[in-house]
Amino acid sequence: MAKVLEGPGMGLLTKWGLLTPHCVVVGSAEEFDKLAEANDWLKKNQLVVKAHEALGSRFKLGLVKVGLDLAGAKAAVREILGRKVETLTIDQVIVSEAVDHKEEYYAAVKSTRDGADIMVANCGGIEVESNWDRVKRVSVEVGDSPTDQALQSLVEEAGFSGSLASKMAEFAKKLFACFDNEDGQYLEINPVVQRQDGELVALDAVTLLDGDAKFRHPDWNFPFAAEFGRAYTTNEKEVMAVDAKVKGSVKLIEIPGGDTAMLPAGGGASVYYSDAVVARGGKLANYAEYSGDPPDWAVEVLTEKVCSLPGIKNIIVGGAIANFTDVKKTFGGIINAFRKAKSEGKLNGVKIWVRRGGPNEKEGLAAMRALGEEGFDIEVFDRQTPLTDIVDMALTRK
Amino acid sequence: MSILATKDTHVVIQGGLAGVNAARRMAEFRYMIKEPLNVSAFVYPPDAGKMNEVTYGSELLTIPIYKSVAEATSNHPEINTSLVYIGADRAYAGTKEALDNSNIQTVSMITEGVPERDAKLLGKHARKLGKIFNGPSSIGVISAAECRLGVIGGAFDNLVACKLYRPGSFGVITKSGGLSNEIIWICSQFADGITTAIGIGGDAYPGTDYVTYLELFEKDPQTKVVVIVGEMGGDLEEGVAEWYGAQKRRIKLLAVVSGFCQESLPKGMKFGHAGAKEGLKGEGSARAKSEALKKAGAIVPDTFGGLGSAIKSTYDELVKSGQVIPVPELSPADLPRLPKTIEQSMKDGEVLVTPLITTTISDDRGEEPLYEGYPASELINKGYGIPHIIGLLWDKRLISKQDAEIIKRILMLSADHGPCVSAALTTIIAACAGIGLSQAVAAGMIMIGPRFGGAVTDAGRWFKHAVEHNMTVDEFLGYMKKNVGPVPGIGHRVKSLRNPDKRVKELVSYVKSVGIPTPHLDFALEVEKVTAAKKDNLILNVDGTMAAVLVDLGFPVDSLNGFFILARTIGLIGHWTDQKRQGSRLIRLFDYLVNYAAPKRREVPPLQ
Repeated sequence: MAKVLEGPGMGLLTKWGLLTPHCVVVGSAEEFDKLAEANDWLKKNQLVVKAHEALGSRFKLGLVKVGLDLAGAKAAVREILGRKVETLTIDQVIVSEAVDHKEEYYAAVKSTRDGADIMVANCGGIEVESNWDRVKRVSVEVGDSPTDQALQSLVEEAGFSGSLASKMAEFAKKLFACFDNEDGQYLEINPVVQRQDGELVALDAVTLLDGDAKFRHPDWNFPFAAEFGRAYTTNEKEVMAVDAKVKGSVKLIEIPGGDTAMLPAGGGASVYYSDAVVARGGKLANYAEYSGDPPDWAVEVLTEKVCSLPGIKNIIVGGAIANFTDVKKTFGGIINAFRKAKSEGKLNGVKIWVRRGGPNEKEGLAAMRALGEEGFDIEVFDRQTPLTDIVDMALTRK
Repeated sequence: MSILATKDTHVVIQGGLAGVNAARRMAEFRYMIKEPLNVSAFVYPPDAGKMNEVTYGSELLTIPIYKSVAEATSNHPEINTSLVYIGADRAYAGTKEALDNSNIQTVSMITEGVPERDAKLLGKHARKLGKIFNGPSSIGVISAAECRLGVIGGAFDNLVACKLYRPGSFGVITKSGGLSNEIIWICSQFADGITTAIGIGGDAYPGTDYVTYLELFEKDPQTKVVVIVGEMGGDLEEGVAEWYGAQKRRIKLLAVVSGFCQESLPKGMKFGHAGAKEGLKGEGSARAKSEALKKAGAIVPDTFGGLGSAIKSTYDELVKSGQVIPVPELSPADLPRLPKTIEQSMKDGEVLVTPLITTTISDDRGEEPLYEGYPASELINKGYGIPHIIGLLWDKRLISKQDAEIIKRILMLSADHGPCVSAALTTIIAACAGIGLSQAVAAGMIMIGPRFGGAVTDAGRWFKHAVEHNMTVDEFLGYMKKNVGPVPGIGHRVKSLRNPDKRVKELVSYVKSVGIPTPHLDFALEVEKVTAAKKDNLILNVDGTMAAVLVDLGFPVDSLNGFFILARTIGLIGHWTDQKRQGSRLIRLFDYLVNYAAPKRREVPPLQ
C-alpha cells in the first residue's frame, strides 16, 4: 500500500470531478506570499494551515492551525515550516480554505477480495467513529461499476433523502470512479460537507493507492508517504532506494528503543522471527527482510544499516530453507558489512545468531562460522535447528 | 495421489530468463523421479522461433519458444497448465491469454508486484471459467513423486533431503515461498513428507484461497493432514476456520498464523508480504485468526517453533491408528543423484581428461591473474613494472632492476618513428577509412617484417650463432654471405656513419655504462666497424642493437621481435587516435605519385 499526502490526494479527487477546498502546498514562506498575491481565495476565505507530512496527532503537536485570515495564515506558515518533530523537519505545509458548513457526512471506498465496498454515512467527522452502525455499504465486483439505482438505494438506506440523496449518490459515484481508475486501495472522505450553495465538498481525505500500479499512472508524480504515523528515516529511505533498483527485495523499518536487531530472510519467515522476539519478551530494534535472491551488495547495504542501530545486543540472521536465494552469495554481503561494522567498533558486545538453509547452504554457513575465528561473537545453526530457536537462545542468554 | 500438479500436468512457461531457470529446476525434479520433463513449450514473443536449452540428467533438451499461448497449445495439445513469469506490467494480458485458452485449466503466476486490481480481475475471470488462477507472487506448487511447478523446493539436494521422490501424507498451503520449503522439510523430518505443497502467494488478494485447495485435499485420500501457514491481514484464514468448522472433515488441519508482534508495535507498521496488514478496525489480527482456527477444531501451536512437535504428534497418531503405514527409508546409496559435472568428477579423481592446451606462464582462475605464479597485485604493490611482466611472461623469470631499466629504454626508443614508416602509414590509412582501432593497428602490425622492424629476431639469432661458435668478424661475414645473405641488423635506409642513429648511440652508451657483460653487443659493434668501412650506411641499426643487447640480457631469440612489436603498438595506437581526434577523412593516393606503366587504352577483342 502506498499512502498519498493530502495535497496530491485532493488533486486526484479533483481530477475525477469531486469538489475539494482550494488548497496550496508550499515549501517556503516566500512562495506562500507570492501565491497569496495571485489567488483571490486566499484573501477572501478563512484558512486552515497544516503540516504536510505523514505525521500522526498533528493537532496535538500544534501543527494544525484553523480559523485564520491571510495574515494569520502567513504567520502560521512561518511558524510550522522548519519545525522539528523527532528526526523529522517539516518542510511542507498545506494551506486550504475553510468551508463554511453545518452538516458533516462520510464516504469511503475500500478494496475487498471481490472488488470494493462503497460506504456512506449521514454523519461525519469524529461522530462516525462512535456510530459505525450508521455506515451503510454496497459491494461492487471488480471490473463492474455501481448502478445509479444501487447508489440511490445505498444513500437512502444511510438516511439521505431528497436532493441531498441524489447529490450524495453522485458524490459516491465519482469517488468510486476515482478509486477504480487510480488503482485505489482505500479512499476515505471524512467529512463530506455541504457548502452554502448546496454542493458537497470533500473536506479531508485518506488516500491509499496500490504502489505496484505506478507503471500505468504517469501522473503520479508525488512521493508515497510512510503509513505508520511518522516519516521515513534516512536509513529506511536508503534501503528503499536500493530495493527499487534490484531484483528481489530488501526492506527495513527502524523501531527506536529496541535491543534485538533483525536481519532475517523472507517476507513470511521474517514476521515469525519478529513474533518469536515479542513472545520471548524481547524488544525489536527493527524489522528487516531480504528475499528473492537479491544481489549481495543490496544485502550488504541492509546489513550496514542494521549494524548501525543504536543499543543492540543481538542480531538475528534468521531464515527458512530458501528455494532459490543463494545462501552463500547473500551471506557474502552480510559478512562484508559485518567486517566493516566491526572495524568501525559497531559490534562491541553484540552477539550474532544465524540459522539458514537453501542453495549453497554449506558454504554460506561455513563462511559465517569462520567469522568466529576473526573475533566475532557468533553462533551458527543449520536447517536441523528449528526456525526460531535462535531467538529463544539469544533472549535467554545472560 | 496429489492435487493441482500431478503426473498428468503438462506445462507451458510464459516468460524469459526466469522461466527458463524454472524449467531447469523442474527438469531436475523430473529427473529425480525418473519421469520425462513435463515442460512442453515456452511463450516469449521476443524469442519466438528459437529454442531454450534445459539440462535433464546428462542430456540437453531443446524446448521450442512460441509467440502466443494458442500457438503453443496447437503444437503441443497435451499442455494443460501455464506458469507465468511475465513482468508485472504485462502479466495481466499474458495470464488472461492463458486462461482464455481452452486447453489450459490451471495458471500459476510467479510474477511479483502485480497491481491488486489486475489480480482480482484475473481471479474473477478464472472463477467464471471454472479454472484455477494461483498467485500472483506464488513460489509454485510441488507434488512429491509427481510434478513440480516453479522453483518451489529449492536445490536438488534439498529435494532429496525433503524426500520429495516419494509421496507422504501431508498437504501444505502457504503464502510464503521460504516457509513452504521449511514446512516441506519439517514434514519430511517429523513425519513421512508431503503429498502436495502449494504457495498461494503473499499478496493481499491472491487468485485462489486456502479453501480452494482444502476442498481438493479433502478429496485426495493420500493426504491425511493439511498444514497451513497464515499471516495477519485479510480474511483468508477466517475462511479456513469457517470451512473447517462447518462440518466434519476427513483431513486434520494444522495451522500457524504470524503477526502477533503487531500487538506491541506502532499502529499501522507494515511488515512482511503485501497482504500482511491488519484492517483499519483491527480485524484480521494474528490473534483473531488463531482463535478462529482453534475454535473450528484446527491444531494451532502458539509459535512457529511448536509446529515440528505438532506435526510429529499428529503423524504418530496416524501411524498408531493404522491410517498411515510408514514406508521404509532409502539407504543413502539409493538416494537419487544428479549426474556430476566434469569439473566435479575431475575434482573427485574419477575421470582423466587429456588437456587441449598447456600453459606454463599464467593462471586467471582465482581472484586475480598469476603471472608465473606471482599475483599481479603483489607485483604492483612491491614496485615491479612492465619490463618485469615482460620478463615473466616472455622468459618465465623475474628480471633484475638493471635489466628492467634497459628494457624500458628499448621500449621507449622504439615506441614510434613518425607517420611515414610502413606500419604507421598503414594504420593512418586504415584510420582514415573508418576502420576500428584493433583492426587498424593490426593492419599496421602486418607491415612489421623482414624489411621493417622485424629483423630483431634474425639479427639476434646470427649474432648469437657467431658468439657461440667463437667466430671472428671475418668468419662471420663469410658465413653469412655464403649461407644467409645480408646481415640482419646491419644497414640503414637514411642513417650512416656521418649521420648516426641517435637511438643506437643512446642505447649502446647506457648499456655500456652499467657494466654488464655484453659479448653480443661487442661483437655486433665489431661487425659494424668492418661493414661501415666498406659502405657508409652499413651501420648497426636499431634492430641489430636491440637484438644484441637483448641476447646479452638472456632473452630467447624467438621473443626478440616482440620488443619492437610491443613498443611500436604504442605508436600505432597513437596514430589511430590522432586521426580520430582530427576527424580525418578518407584518403587516396594522388595520381601524380603513381607511374602508370600499364599499356595504353586499346580495344577489347571479340570473345572467342
